[in-house]
Amino acid sequence: MHGKIILRVVSKFLIPYILLFALYVQWHGDFGPGGGFQAGVIFAAGFVLYALIFGVDTVRTVVPPAATRICLVVGVLLYSGVGVAGMLLGANFLDYNVLASTPTGGQHIGILLVEAGVGITVASAMITIFCTFAGRRRDDGEDPVA
Amino acid sequence: MEMVLFVLSWVSIIAGGVFCIIGAFGMLKMPDVFTRLHAASLIDTLGIGLIFLGLAFQAGFTLVLAKLAMVLVFVFFTSPTGTHALCRAILSDGMQPETIDGSRAVLVDEPETSPDEADEAEEV
Amino acid sequence: MEDVIIISLLLFMAIAAISIARMHNLFAVVMMTGLFSLLGAAAYVVMDAVDVAFTEAAVGAGVSTVLMLGTLALTTSEEKPASPKHARSAFVLVVITGAILVYGTLDMPSYGDPNAPMHHHVANRYLEASEKEIGLPNVVTSVLASYRGYDTLGETFVIFTAACGVLAILGRSRRPRRRDEAETDNKPEVDA
Repeated sequence: MHGKIILRVVSKFLIPYILLFALYVQWHGDFGPGGGFQAGVIFAAGFVLYALIFGVDTVRTVVPPAATRICLVVGVLLYSGVGVAGMLLGANFLDYNVLASTPTGGQHIGILLVEAGVGITVASAMITIFCTFAGRRRDDGEDPVA
Repeated sequence: MEMVLFVLSWVSIIAGGVFCIIGAFGMLKMPDVFTRLHAASLIDTLGIGLIFLGLAFQAGFTLVLAKLAMVLVFVFFTSPTGTHALCRAILSDGMQPETIDGSRAVLVDEPETSPDEADEAEEV
Repeated sequence: MEDVIIISLLLFMAIAAISIARMHNLFAVVMMTGLFSLLGAAAYVVMDAVDVAFTEAAVGAGVSTVLMLGTLALTTSEEKPASPKHARSAFVLVVITGAILVYGTLDMPSYGDPNAPMHHHVANRYLEASEKEIGLPNVVTSVLASYRGYDTLGETFVIFTAACGVLAILGRSRRPRRRDEAETDNKPEVDA
């Protein structure tokens, strides 16, 4: 890793801003373009950049496969949990009006939590898919096509 | 004053577009991959800079100007880095720049191999 | 003026699509795919659909290109030559199907027509009632997450299933094996 000094320095400088921008897009989906899907993809792109420069094994140390598997499930459970919470409070599935004292406040909280769930699932899915693809070598498993 | 800003912004945007076209033309007509990369970098510096200047004249002193400035800073950081990474990949693949008299260029600093290959070479 | 921009962008997208079909070097094909997605994102911006453009640029021109390049690093980088046996009949069939589809679109309402049926039933109510009922400035988010929240739940499950499928097929992560281990373990059988 000696020769890649320009790439290492620039990426170390830029990756925190990429992750910060992903969080900005996530929480500002209410006021401008954005939301869970875009934020998840941008968040994963920061980690993909890290993996391209520092190696997939370093990313595996930073984000262990167990963590991404748990985060995959947590996002979906968060979304479904908001729906079930609506049911437990007496209304229909995925009804946000009952989650707070006013219907509009309930909608705000519901949308916030739901978009967070989507963002978590999308980010961990992209990181999982990339690390699974990039962690293989050409002679892992099958014979290469002659 | 408004008219002056309007004319200035249009001149800047059109000049930026002209430099983009020149850069694209250079990318097609240059003989070697390294010279083509140099022509492409024209788009990323002068093209984007002049278009940003034109848009800044239209935006005035608002939040939009600050966002445009941040986009410009980001592009100025990432575009030369991308060109550098591309050149590293080309050189590690073995391609050398063409010279007029056909001599091989002597590149002093040979780029290192990727970390996985270096580790495997160390292990074996 | 806007029509000129959209038509030229769509023309570039068509040229990119034709070149994707005709090129044999798969690295160039992946780059053209990224370019196609970027042009699509620009077309969405001109049509005032900024959220969709955002997602298209991030996914299509960003992560998807990297994933395809990662796949190419595992397989060959030249396309296998296609057999020219059924080329003519396939071409005729595709042209006939395309002509039927274009003939079918002649009956649709024109782009942006305010009298079109789709602008009168549900979309009106969402646009008018979103301010009162939900109170978010961005109507796209309110439709996506609240009015059509069930569909978004399904989308999230689809992404989750895609990641599970990749994990199930390609297996868990393993450390890169040493070269002498890989040579002794090389099985001659090939997975079907």
